[in-house]
Amino acid sequence: MFRKEKKDFKNLEAKIAQIKDRKEKAEKLIELGKFYFLNEKYNEAIGKFKEAIKIDENNAEIYYNLGVVYESKNLPDEASQLYTKALELNPGHQLASKHLEKIVGK
Amino acid sequence: MKQCVVLGLGIFGASVAKALVEKGCEVLAIDEDEEKVKEISDVVTQAVQADATEEKALRALGVDKMDIAIVSTGEDMEASILITLLMKELGIKTIVAKAVSPSHGTVLRKVGATRVVFPERDTGVRVAKSLATPDILEHIVLSPEYSILEVHAPKSFIGRTLGEIDVRAKHGVNIIAIKRKLPYLTDTGESDFKEELLITPGAEEEVADSDILVVLGTNKKIDKLRKL
Repeated sequence: MFRKEKKDFKNLEAKIAQIKDRKEKAEKLIELGKFYFLNEKYNEAIGKFKEAIKIDENNAEIYYNLGVVYESKNLPDEASQLYTKALELNPGHQLASKHLEKIVGK
Repeated sequence: MKQCVVLGLGIFGASVAKALVEKGCEVLAIDEDEEKVKEISDVVTQAVQADATEEKALRALGVDKMDIAIVSTGEDMEASILITLLMKELGIKTIVAKAVSPSHGTVLRKVGATRVVFPERDTGVRVAKSLATPDILEHIVLSPEYSILEVHAPKSFIGRTLGEIDVRAKHGVNIIAIKRKLPYLTDTGESDFKEELLITPGAEEEVADSDILVVLGTNKKIDKLRKL
């Protein structure tokens, strides 16, 4: 079982704000989004993943992660759109197709 | 172990056959189409290509010894009526037949179906309900007055314990279970979640954003709760 990480989110946010490199910044935002998700702070996680998409809009990973958060919030329509987008960018994304099949059906 | 025969392996018949196997039944699957028989042969106990309107062929397969028959050749009305009649003559006690229209259903009942199902009509009703009331995920009618409903946790409940919310006293309904999503990271570091079912949750349980509540109560009271 995964043990919930106890991180100082504010500290991390401040650090990310200083990062100049776009790729690195997007990666850190994804990481922070995942931490928020793990701590069931879904709205904060959505915020971070959306910020990451603005920087790295063709990254299937971010759309998938955002989809999982929406699905956790019981918003399947939004989730399925995001999984579809993730699969457009990376047709081999197995988790995205697994989740999409669960919502839309085979 | 119950022995079942499924006659007609379209999408409906094949799904019924697979689900019966999962429930531990022995399933004999019959269709005229060789392809369809091949497709299901790995899943069911026995899959045979045969004409289901031929009494001799069915007897040779031991269909007369089955407990349940599912007649799923709905689109071909004539065949479905003939097969249902044949199942009755073979002495099968439970005969479930798929109908495509109300009059088809009436005929099926008359020739011996013990239960008639209308998958298209029923799915239509379900789809309409889910579009009209998207917050209701499942609705089990216990009586004209009482229901069990699966609903998203109302916003005003989130972050509070069941004890604080006190739905039984304040809203006159019981939360009999909570379906909860537990976020985790996969081995490759991807977000994912597991689903957990908390049966008869205690008063200390805090309602989360992602929770689905399974509530039992009168339709009126549940309706009020949904509007919170």
